[in-house]
Amino acid sequence: MAEHILLRDLDIPDIRRFEVYTRHGGYEALRKVVTTMTPDDVINEVKKSNLRGRGGAGFPTGVKWSFIPRQEPIKYVVVNADESEPGTFKDRQILEGNPHQLIEGALIAAYAIQATAIYIYCRGEFWDLTHALDRHIEDARQAGFVGENILDSGWSCEVHTHLGAGAYICGEESALLNSLQGLLGQPRVRPPFPAQKGGGLYYEATVVNNVETLTNVPWIINNGADAYLQIGTPESPGPKIYCLSGHINRPGNYELPLGITFRELIYEHGGGIPDDRKLKAILPSGASGPVLPATDAVLDTPLTYEAVAKIGSTLGSASIILIDETVNMAWAGSKMTQFFAHESCGKCTPCREGTYWSRRRYDTLLAGRAAEKDIDILSDVAGQMTGLTLCALGEFAVNPVVWTIKHFRQDYLEYIQQAAAEEKPAARGKGKAARDAAAR
Amino acid sequence: MTENTVTLHIDGTPYQMPEGMNLVDAARIYAGIEIPIFCYHPKMEPVGMCRMCLVDIGFEARDRATGEPVLNPDGTPQVRWGRKLETGCTTRVTAGMHIRTKTQAVTKARKDILEFLLSSHPLDCPICDKGGECPLQDLTMRHGPGTSRMAFDEKKRLGKHLPLGDLIVLDCERCIQCARCIRFQAEVVGDDVLAFHERARSLQIISISDPPFDTYFGGNTADVCPVGALTTVDFRFGARPWEMENIPSISPHGPVGENIALGVRLDRDSGGVKRVKRVLPRQNEEVNEIWISDKTRFGHHFTLSPDRLQTPLLRKRGELVEASWSDAIKAAAKAVKEAGNRVGIIAGPMMTNEDLYMLRGLAGHVGSRKLGVWPPNLGDPDPVAEVGIAAGSRLTALGKGDAVLVIASDLEEEAPIWFLQAKQAADRGAHLVVANMRTTKLDRYAGHVIAYDFNEGVDVLNGLTAAAISHRWTNRSALERVNGYDELTAALKGTRQPYKEAAEAMAKARNLVVFVGDDGLDPEGHTALLRAAANFLIITGHAGQLNNGLVPVWPGANTQGAFDLGFSSENTRAMLKNPPEVLILAGAPAAADPAYAALLDRVETVISLTMFHNAAAGADAPTTAVVLPIQSFAERDGTFTSAMRRVQRFYTAHGPAGQSLPAWEAVGLIGERLGMPRPPRSSALVMQALTEEVRLYSEMTYPALARVAEQFPPIGASPDFYGGATRSAAGGTGIAWPSRAEGRGKLTVKAVRAPEGVKPGPGELVISPVRRLYDRTPEFYTATLMHGRIPEPFAAVNTADASRLGIANGDSVVVHVAGAAVHVTAVVDSYAPEGVVLLPLYLSSEPMPLVPLAGTVEKITEPVPAD
Repeated sequence: MAEHILLRDLDIPDIRRFEVYTRHGGYEALRKVVTTMTPDDVINEVKKSNLRGRGGAGFPTGVKWSFIPRQEPIKYVVVNADESEPGTFKDRQILEGNPHQLIEGALIAAYAIQATAIYIYCRGEFWDLTHALDRHIEDARQAGFVGENILDSGWSCEVHTHLGAGAYICGEESALLNSLQGLLGQPRVRPPFPAQKGGGLYYEATVVNNVETLTNVPWIINNGADAYLQIGTPESPGPKIYCLSGHINRPGNYELPLGITFRELIYEHGGGIPDDRKLKAILPSGASGPVLPATDAVLDTPLTYEAVAKIGSTLGSASIILIDETVNMAWAGSKMTQFFAHESCGKCTPCREGTYWSRRRYDTLLAGRAAEKDIDILSDVAGQMTGLTLCALGEFAVNPVVWTIKHFRQDYLEYIQQAAAEEKPAARGKGKAARDAAAR
Repeated sequence: MTENTVTLHIDGTPYQMPEGMNLVDAARIYAGIEIPIFCYHPKMEPVGMCRMCLVDIGFEARDRATGEPVLNPDGTPQVRWGRKLETGCTTRVTAGMHIRTKTQAVTKARKDILEFLLSSHPLDCPICDKGGECPLQDLTMRHGPGTSRMAFDEKKRLGKHLPLGDLIVLDCERCIQCARCIRFQAEVVGDDVLAFHERARSLQIISISDPPFDTYFGGNTADVCPVGALTTVDFRFGARPWEMENIPSISPHGPVGENIALGVRLDRDSGGVKRVKRVLPRQNEEVNEIWISDKTRFGHHFTLSPDRLQTPLLRKRGELVEASWSDAIKAAAKAVKEAGNRVGIIAGPMMTNEDLYMLRGLAGHVGSRKLGVWPPNLGDPDPVAEVGIAAGSRLTALGKGDAVLVIASDLEEEAPIWFLQAKQAADRGAHLVVANMRTTKLDRYAGHVIAYDFNEGVDVLNGLTAAAISHRWTNRSALERVNGYDELTAALKGTRQPYKEAAEAMAKARNLVVFVGDDGLDPEGHTALLRAAANFLIITGHAGQLNNGLVPVWPGANTQGAFDLGFSSENTRAMLKNPPEVLILAGAPAAADPAYAALLDRVETVISLTMFHNAAAGADAPTTAVVLPIQSFAERDGTFTSAMRRVQRFYTAHGPAGQSLPAWEAVGLIGERLGMPRPPRSSALVMQALTEEVRLYSEMTYPALARVAEQFPPIGASPDFYGGATRSAAGGTGIAWPSRAEGRGKLTVKAVRAPEGVKPGPGELVISPVRRLYDRTPEFYTATLMHGRIPEPFAAVNTADASRLGIANGDSVVVHVAGAAVHVTAVVDSYAPEGVVLLPLYLSSEPMPLVPLAGTVEKITEPVPAD
């Protein structure tokens, strides 16, 4: 791509500064919507662009905005900047390098739903970025883009930032809203949904959008939905920031159109796998999505919401973690399960108990004390969680277990065979471990 | 409540159910189908956490274009089933809804959730207090897996004996994180004392208040806990649920008449006799729902306390010595006989209707009408008989469009269950007006807080009534049956109306309940306030209607019963002017008030019927000639009449302390020696005689009082369904007698004015007694586990007064009032009204007056003497 749409800091030095941003057309989109467009015009334009939520679910942004009941006097826009998915670091670069485009996008969203305030919920580790963000918001306020009577339109909107306290679950939108309200960061029962009265922030109708999603919006307003649709594929249009990490020569953020293939991304942009080792597995959406074996069919799959779903995974936030042949995937599954067992909020039974139980099974496996039936227990526990949990965290938490077993069962068996080989002599001993081993 | 009935299918069978009702409740009540639950509780908002209630939910399909139902080939409506199972507890009954509870997916989900819940559960049922009445145990037997695949050494280890405050202990391993306890404290009580801490499998309950678990309702969390995670220090490790008999009873503490069950068992530690091991709530939706205060739950230890008087005492050669019942009765009868009609009786707050009936019979026999009630500060209760809350009313019915007024009462301290119910009515949208001369906790839930000066409560109510009259917020059809309306209008002309909005909200409310207390009032003030409240209720058309009326916040469990049987506070006060020759103190701690302590010395003979032989009951008075040990509510049958006029029956739970007898029997024995007919042989027969003589009580025979009104939602009926240890209403839900307004007769309004009140002289302040829930009366102080919760004797002094008197917070002071000197710690507090010192009753053993009087507060340098 010739010029970046989202990561403009790569093209224009210091665009994080207000005067640089405005010198390069910054806040013109906001001026355009506030002075020439009705809220419905804005929603329709974004709907037409088919911009899809970049937080992971890929829900059409314009449609989400259109759910907000018009007659409610108090409405909010909440920006989800609690970027916590393992392997995801795209929002951080936007906040760091191009913060005004996010603020502008959020203000356009707020105008579209006629919100009274915007809350930017940042993960706790972003404390430095958040302090900087406060100064950027202040700059925008000085220029009349934030606060009372924006651009003399009669519409007023405040922008607040809020720091989380280090919980992955607060990236889940309803837990985020609870946390923002000062409550325990646990997800809410839905319905009511955030867009409905009673379901949002302070129980008012609320749009919750991801940082990257909103950062697309000013460009769409400036250049039109039709131009936006020229990028990417018709179902998944627009640019996407791919976060490459793991066994890759050039890890980092890559802003590229949706629809390029895994192969292109990994080998052309990412420079391939270190030491030309064999790529074994791909996690297309951090720890949450199903792992994919690095087959040719997978590598040639275009990175769109639909295509990745078709091969049995999700694009999610496109936090692509690459795993080469040196890694045992049972070990990788255990690492991800540890993460979910640590981050489960504990509110609902299957997630609280299931992640803990799975983690303990993996401990046994990795300690060389497992038998083949433990793989079945792992599968069963994951199966028991599926469909029963209160929020998506629990649903995602089973993916590392289910899919590493499905695609890489041999890696599990390695631990077990190794254990059997080591324990055979001990089985004739008298200790408890020996008795347990014999019993298995 | 508008109830629109809709058709809903469960497992293929159609049922008619009220639209919008919680699916778990509706399935249980209307279809008899159990959807198992742990976190859901019908008294709290659903949260969908435990996932036990997952069911398959579908809707009848409709054609998108035409809106017509889509039919199967056989003509039945096509059902579109959900992609996933949904929680029943967060689902509301909707027309066209289909539920499947028996599919393989549902059955498996239940089994899976139970396996998860048990995976780190200690499975220590054999040593768990909840074992035998545990929902987790019961539902596991019904829906769970037979074995566990969780390796024992992989279970999560957490704290086993974590005190959440000094009354409740948490076992973190047993906890299933249902949050019922947290939600009870936050939603029902409004005390944010518990919270979740940590995350994932480490998620656990902690107390976030200082002092920890600081609430009057904490014991209820152990009841609603669906596992054995929360135990009370009173009961834990005390007995197994199946070993106990649960004896239906009524709380002897306070005017609410909480329905309780006394769990009794033969107890080795008590010498092999039966004793109360625990007190549980018994469901009565018209009284206490399923909640009881910690005072009721833990304040039962007096029933078999070693401090109880074991034998009769008789004064011989100047000393009170142990005596036989027959000698003691002989001596008492002799004294009564000699006094003739100059016998006075003061009956205390725990005297049952049976006791009072026999006392009044005795007085009648000798021709005395001196039937006094303790405490002596109460006014004329007639407005209660006229416009008392209608029989069958429920505070739980109050919500949007209704109003509640609380005046001259700190409900949380005086009647905690009503505090909870008034608060919840406000939560549901009722307009709560709280009027007091001091700040109370209920203020935070009030739509209007009216802070009046000392003795101005009557003016407030008159102002509200005047506003209702001048703005025509009166009820025309109600006025047709009112006598004295014109005179009232005339008398209130020109009355200041500073609380117009509150008056409007109350007058226009669909239902109005008025709680009237006696805080800061002398008897005349109390009389006037009750009457003024009645005036407002009558002219605004709220008298005699269901869920409307006056609720007096009486001090005792059977104060209303005493009034009903002809006892009065006025008679008690009259004895000060005209002392009787023989004074019978029946469970009345009269010497706790210096004026009555002096009265004891002025009469010839005091006969004391008491559970505790102490100074308050006349132990130190040289005139006390006979002391008779009487039984507590747990040792006998009897009835109490709550302040809502509900006559409620309690049953014998265990044997007597020492040689004590029920008071009615002791009185009957005295009467027998005076030539009265032989006393009835049982409590039931006393009540039978009472019903024949007292018209108000003509319905109240024991069999009638034992009848059980259906309870909804039926929480206590099936212990394992909603979980928790709450007992069913078995034993009787009691009968309230109707107020006069519920009949057709005329009602009378009458203008009243605030009496003079106390006029402090120079350098003096008003010393106003205050009732506290936790005090040092022996009926409560015998519960040693509560000692940490009972405040040291204190007096609350307004900041301005304190600075004038040179008193700092925490100073030792002596309050001089009516000849008494009360040594207390000063609490300098802006909440105390200026010019008024709030002196809590029964915190100190030193006598103090029960009515507001002028007095002084003086700083002392030596420490407060210990009791």
